[in-house]
Amino acid sequence: MAAAGPMIVDGCKKDASTKSSSTTSTSSSSTSTSTSGSCIVTADEVEGPYPYVGGESTNPLDRSDVTAGQTGVPLTLSFVVVNANNNCNVISNARVDIWHCNKDGYYSGYANQNSSLGVKSYVGETWLRGYQLTDSTGVAKFTTIYPGWYAGRATHIHIEVYVNGVMKKTTQICFSESTNNVVYASSLYSAHGVNPITNEADSILGNSLTDLANETVALTGSVSEGYSGSYTIGIQL
Amino acid sequence: MSRAKIKLVYRQVIDESCATGFEKAIFQASYDEFLLKSQAYNNQGKFKTFSKTKANDGRANSLHYKLGFSVGHFIAQLNNKIPVIKDNQGNKISFDVANFELIESHIEDISLHKLAINYETRLLPLIEIMGEYLLLADDNLPEHGPVETFVLRMQPDMSIVSYEEINQPHVILSAS
Repeated sequence: MAAAGPMIVDGCKKDASTKSSSTTSTSSSSTSTSTSGSCIVTADEVEGPYPYVGGESTNPLDRSDVTAGQTGVPLTLSFVVVNANNNCNVISNARVDIWHCNKDGYYSGYANQNSSLGVKSYVGETWLRGYQLTDSTGVAKFTTIYPGWYAGRATHIHIEVYVNGVMKKTTQICFSESTNNVVYASSLYSAHGVNPITNEADSILGNSLTDLANETVALTGSVSEGYSGSYTIGIQL
Repeated sequence: MSRAKIKLVYRQVIDESCATGFEKAIFQASYDEFLLKSQAYNNQGKFKTFSKTKANDGRANSLHYKLGFSVGHFIAQLNNKIPVIKDNQGNKISFDVANFELIESHIEDISLHKLAINYETRLLPLIEIMGEYLLLADDNLPEHGPVETFVLRMQPDMSIVSYEEINQPHVILSAS
């Protein structure tokens, strides 16, 4: 069998840019929000215990719609990957992986997950996991459902970004508690109730309030119409 | 009638000598994914092998299940039938879950990539052990009547991982 090297993708060459007028002061911490040029370098967060894994180019997990039959309030997320070391120019062909739990707080692929709703095993299932390559405008778009929550963590979605086969970012995003609470009061989520862990109380999100603010994705929409939002992932190439 | 309920695991080892399309797909997909996902525990490629990466950072053990996602769709195509082994009538054995195990790998040499798929059956009624052969049934045994059974030879890479003894019902004889 022939040897294979890391996936080579053509990134970091687009001129279009998404720039911010922010003049936030620079932080030198590698795990905190910092600025480089005029955009924010996304803060690092641990990947957590339930990463998504993609696969070879024909992997069906290379998908924009990761719902795969899971019920919940529709959620559309657009991620824009930019190079904070190059005038915040967008990066095409970056691989963006996401994964998150379902409305009841369970992840696909794992056995014996415990929650107040019971012990569940979802070995062999891959729902709410997927990856996309960013397009020419640096965007990777996903259709999913609003995540539920599990004990000890604020509501969140995991993200990894690879450029030219090299891991460039591991992070997590969250949403405002007010939106969380509206969703968790809706019919599909109400059995599990409101997440008692706030974003600020979370042990992983936001090493600083600035980080937390930058990791909190603003959403528009409603329970009946679904929610959508856009998030810019700043990496350094 | 059955003496126990047992759970079997068959361990299919796949390395560069893989022959079937299924094995080749699993081998390549999991290696590609290894190159990506191992970076979380091996910054700058300091360690070349999985075993050294794992020794340096125990979190690299998560690569077993991380890589498992990358091959899940190939395993799904098996329709829950274990490849390779068959019973004495040539029928494939059903499995309940399949777990991916990364045995070893190397970030610069795919020929050192080696993995196993561990196919685990559900609990099967074990009726008898005849030398190296197991007399098994697919379903729960009825109280009366004939039982559909199959015979499976114990073989390398097959293990009994769960054993639950069943108490034989007491037979009450009455004299009139």
